[in-house]
Amino acid sequence: MYSDGIFPTVNQTAHQSVLQAKGLRKVYGSRVAVDGIGFSFEEGEFIGFLGPNGAGKTTTIKMLTGLVKPTGGEITYFGKDFFANPRFAKRIIGAVPQQNNLDRDLTAYENLKLHAILYGMDRSGMSEKIGEMLTFAGLTNYRDMQVKTFSGGTMRRLVIARALLHEPGILFLDEPTVGLDPQIRRSIWEFIVKVNNLRNTTIILTTHYIEEAERLCRRVLIINDGKIIAEGRPDEMKKEIGQYVLEIYMEEGINERFFESREDAVIALRDSRYPCKVREVTLEDVFLKITGRRINV
Amino acid sequence: MFNGFTAVLYREFTVYRKRFFKQLLTASLSPLLFLIAFGWGLGREVSVGGMPYINFLIPGLVTMSSLNQSFAISAEINISRFYFHTFDEYLIAPASHLEIVLGEALFGVFRGMLSCLIIFLYVVVFKVKLSFNAMFLPAILLHTFQFSALAVTTSMVVKDHSSQALVNNFVITPMIFLCGTFFPLGKLPSAFNYLVSILPLTYSTKAIRASLTGGTVEYSHLSIMGLFCLVFFITSMLALRRVEA
Ligand SMILES: Nc1ncnc2c1ncn2[C@@H]1O[C@H](COP(=O)(O)OP(=O)(O)OP(=O)(O)O)[C@@H](O)[C@H]1O
Ligand SMILES: [Mg+2]
Repeated sequence: MYSDGIFPTVNQTAHQSVLQAKGLRKVYGSRVAVDGIGFSFEEGEFIGFLGPNGAGKTTTIKMLTGLVKPTGGEITYFGKDFFANPRFAKRIIGAVPQQNNLDRDLTAYENLKLHAILYGMDRSGMSEKIGEMLTFAGLTNYRDMQVKTFSGGTMRRLVIARALLHEPGILFLDEPTVGLDPQIRRSIWEFIVKVNNLRNTTIILTTHYIEEAERLCRRVLIINDGKIIAEGRPDEMKKEIGQYVLEIYMEEGINERFFESREDAVIALRDSRYPCKVREVTLEDVFLKITGRRINV
Repeated sequence: MFNGFTAVLYREFTVYRKRFFKQLLTASLSPLLFLIAFGWGLGREVSVGGMPYINFLIPGLVTMSSLNQSFAISAEINISRFYFHTFDEYLIAPASHLEIVLGEALFGVFRGMLSCLIIFLYVVVFKVKLSFNAMFLPAILLHTFQFSALAVTTSMVVKDHSSQALVNNFVITPMIFLCGTFFPLGKLPSAFNYLVSILPLTYSTKAIRASLTGGTVEYSHLSIMGLFCLVFFITSMLALRRVEA
């Protein structure tokens, strides 16, 4: 299950992969931002790239969406090479960048219209399509308001709505809920899950929030220092290191021990000379166990 | 097929409509000040290049004003790239670089042309007699296109806002003062003549002035302007390609 960079086996079942990457690399000067990563995703999957700041998540998304040229490696959409068929691939892609990039001088409607024209959508049904999308995103009240007056959560919703307008098969979300308060975050989560369920859109999301990856993603790729260091279903990855953690508060810091059952952990707790706490394992522990560091410090 | 081109123009014109009065006011002020200072201040008695100075000055103001307006798109593209990141929307979309560059450049041409109308309004108000030659149209088109394309190039090369200001201060402003906009070129020491002869504004000024003051517009000047258009268009395409490095 732990791969050392290049994803070893590609799932060759009847399902066609919507997106495949091999040996993807990006080097900035002497800094290796992405260090030979590979993966293959199928239609309707909900994927998470989980990793700490500077892991290379954004750089990976930028290469996959054509904003940054890879130093090396291959990207294919539906089996077609990305760089040989950019127009074909770009029509399939919807992208929500880490920083909101709405046009602040335009209204919500005008931002969507700009996107519709940009993607060559049919002029005749354009206005209805935009109206439907505003309803889908719960933004009808904001239709004719200038974006510069919007709150962070509303802007985020609009960026996602815009990325969905041309009905992409694959939606990239780079840190979709960063900087939002817990309640707004939850509403954005519901929105994204709705997109995945109702439209069967393949979703690829990056995050450094453990909870976000665990709750939303059916498959998580843990990235550190530009490499995929683990991947799989969140529950299976956690099971592999043990279901429960005993946190031991020692003078040098917190020590962690993993157990298969709560009972075993509690027995160990009783024997300990230090203050302890038993809790369920999270993906943070998976990361910690492999790298010796935490995702969020 | 022209989706990217149409989208860029849709964006620019929608925003322009909202800022119309502010922009009109901005574009009107500096030529008016020049007219008051040098047109009225120096008076009609001063004669330059065989005509009243105000007649000499007005084509210069047309050139300066349209250059400023066309080149102004540079700062705005720069802001959209580095500050609001809206430019990324174009790069992610299924649109070619050609469409994006052409869309932005044509908007620059539009802005430059519009500023000429303001000056023609002043001409009426100040009761200046100009002779209008049809060659003005190709001259102003080439003039505004070359500086719009230069603006796109600059906005793609320059990495932040202060470097953008540097280009304005060290390239655009000196050009405006040296290339015969406000005085005939012959008066400068000969060393300057070499410098001036490689600057694109020199040929714009010559062609535009000739077309508005009853002179003959030299085809060689128009050809050189066309050449600059081509060069700056190519540099903007190359610069945009480098953005996705
Ligand atoms: N344009 C650039 N030039 C030089 N180095 C860069 C550039 N972009 C990213 N990097 C470096 O590449 C590494 C990966 O950056 P990236 O933005 O992809 O990380 P990330 O996982 O998205 O982090 P974050 O959680 O902070 O968004 C970082 O060390 C960063 O400094
Ligand atoms: Mg990032």
